[in-house]
Amino acid sequence: MIAEFFAIPGIILIFGAFILPLVPRNVRSSLFLVFPIIALAIVITRPDGYALSATLAGLELVLFQVDALSRVFGIIFAATALIAGIYAWHIKDLGQQTAALVYAGSALGVTFAGDFFTLLVFWELMAVSSTWLVWARRTPSSDAAGMRYLVYHVFGGGLLLAGILWHYSTTGSILVESLPESTAIASVLMLLGVAVNAAVIPLHAWLPDAYPKATITGAVFMSAFTTKSAVYVLMRVFPGWEVLAWFGAAMAIYGVTYAVICKDMREILAYHIVSQVGFMVCGIGIGTEMALNGAAAHAYSHILYKALMFMGAGAVLYATGTTKLVDLGGLKKKMKWTMLLYMVGAFSISGLPLFNGFISKAMTVDAAGYAGNETAMLMLLLAGVGTFLSVGLKLPYYTWFHKEDSDIDIKPLPVNMYIAMGIAAFLCIFYGLVPGALYVYLPFEVNYEPYTVYHLVEITQISLLTFAGFWLLKKKMAGERMIALDFDWFYRKPAPFFRKVFVNAIDNFFGWVEKVVHGWAIHISGKFDNPMKWLNPFAEKEYEAKTYSPGLDVITAFVLLVFVVFGIFLFI
Amino acid sequence: MKTWQWILLGVLLLITLVLEFTVLADYDSHWWNAVPAFYAIWGFACTVVLVYAGKFISKNIVKRDPDYYDR
Repeated sequence: MIAEFFAIPGIILIFGAFILPLVPRNVRSSLFLVFPIIALAIVITRPDGYALSATLAGLELVLFQVDALSRVFGIIFAATALIAGIYAWHIKDLGQQTAALVYAGSALGVTFAGDFFTLLVFWELMAVSSTWLVWARRTPSSDAAGMRYLVYHVFGGGLLLAGILWHYSTTGSILVESLPESTAIASVLMLLGVAVNAAVIPLHAWLPDAYPKATITGAVFMSAFTTKSAVYVLMRVFPGWEVLAWFGAAMAIYGVTYAVICKDMREILAYHIVSQVGFMVCGIGIGTEMALNGAAAHAYSHILYKALMFMGAGAVLYATGTTKLVDLGGLKKKMKWTMLLYMVGAFSISGLPLFNGFISKAMTVDAAGYAGNETAMLMLLLAGVGTFLSVGLKLPYYTWFHKEDSDIDIKPLPVNMYIAMGIAAFLCIFYGLVPGALYVYLPFEVNYEPYTVYHLVEITQISLLTFAGFWLLKKKMAGERMIALDFDWFYRKPAPFFRKVFVNAIDNFFGWVEKVVHGWAIHISGKFDNPMKWLNPFAEKEYEAKTYSPGLDVITAFVLLVFVVFGIFLFI
Repeated sequence: MKTWQWILLGVLLLITLVLEFTVLADYDSHWWNAVPAFYAIWGFACTVVLVYAGKFISKNIVKRDPDYYDR
């Protein structure tokens, strides 16, 4: 039992976080990589239907349960933990290393949890550990953003917990299984809780708020786990909920619109996660086998290329100290390799042929069409154009081109960053060339051929004309010093007011009460420091306790008299 | 962009158009398959719409100074 417990992929990584502080400083980064490798090996080798149960306080828990859907997410989570670990190999910050391991471990834990209790424990662990990756940047703005991120996720976790408790009290079951579409309070609460982590609009504002402020390496981990583990839970529990199809399609457009508006590399990429998760959520909402396959495939592909792009943006931040497009430009000579590797990610995300986005995005979009939802399909096609426009053209153009040369001094990148980006880029191209390598792991049987004349014509026409449109209008997308308001305005702008009402006002009230109570205490102790003043009007007013006073005799004698009288009454 | 690069892109577009009117002439799974060069038009129109809509939303609603929340 104990051996099996430590063979749970999530537990391996979390256990690793406890081992890491015990080994010498310079071995930690290398040891870090061992745990995801072990987890990956276990995820791949455990057969379908494998389950590990335990009993806790009368509840039958399923700690580790494997089927095709959890396996495909498990593989990519473990692989990304490995790639991001390589990217962060040069980091000597123990806090970040352990937090990253716990974070990746709890994402794996969520993926393989067979009951809601286990899922919730890992879910909350994920929120707490990822917060550290924001705080580890140690700037005032990341401190504040990390706190907002944590509060938002605790709120989401609370919704999920409330939903789970309600679900348990009405059905008596805590097993993770798909729920029928309904407006039952339990289901709605759970859906809202998961929607927070999936960054479903309008509950998404934590994502573009926190991710750009995380550490260079932390953002790579974050881009992979939180939203995609929520996508997994949506796929597991809420497949075919039609409301998700529309929210997903709306997210896809909302995200790219902001990606077009924003002028900071990592902010653009963060908003773009919202858009990409929208594709997956839409696929889940459509709920056909093809759509669910598409959503799973897209999550798999997306994690790879989005991690690659965050690594590219992180590399630029590492080398130049900024990600603001207005300060960048002309880096094509100084950061050529970073550019080439980033462009692999950009072409992948844009769904260009020979890259892995092509084999998964087209599947999701087509699934919407085949399911008869052509409006959603056109919305996703619009979002696809915005994808290429914002992260495929605008971002690289204003970072690496735009000017002939850049006068920014470039700090050389550690080799491990290139290696990690290289692995991710290789995988993006590999899956693009060999779609079967991914399709074989999808939850349902795949009867889909991405490389048809129709698809090639479709994506080529869209991309060429998007490029032409960008070239005509590119001046309109130039960098500026700005931020874009979003739904976080609703809790960030009134924050000073709420602080005044709920913190300062209460503080002031407590201060006032304290003052009054102290005033009384001073008054009363002043009265009693010499009771003789009012007990014996004939006593000397300038009496001091340490000197003898005849007045004291009176009181002592009186007290003694009382004792004697009581004594007499008692014994008679 | 150099001239030869534009020519290359033009040739690519031409190839897709030729394919659309030959190999895919009878292809019909969505209503828009009847519109010639639909995806090219869609790509261009969406780009223009997104750029201008983004600019409009940015300018009129969401754009603020970077220290907006710190004041």
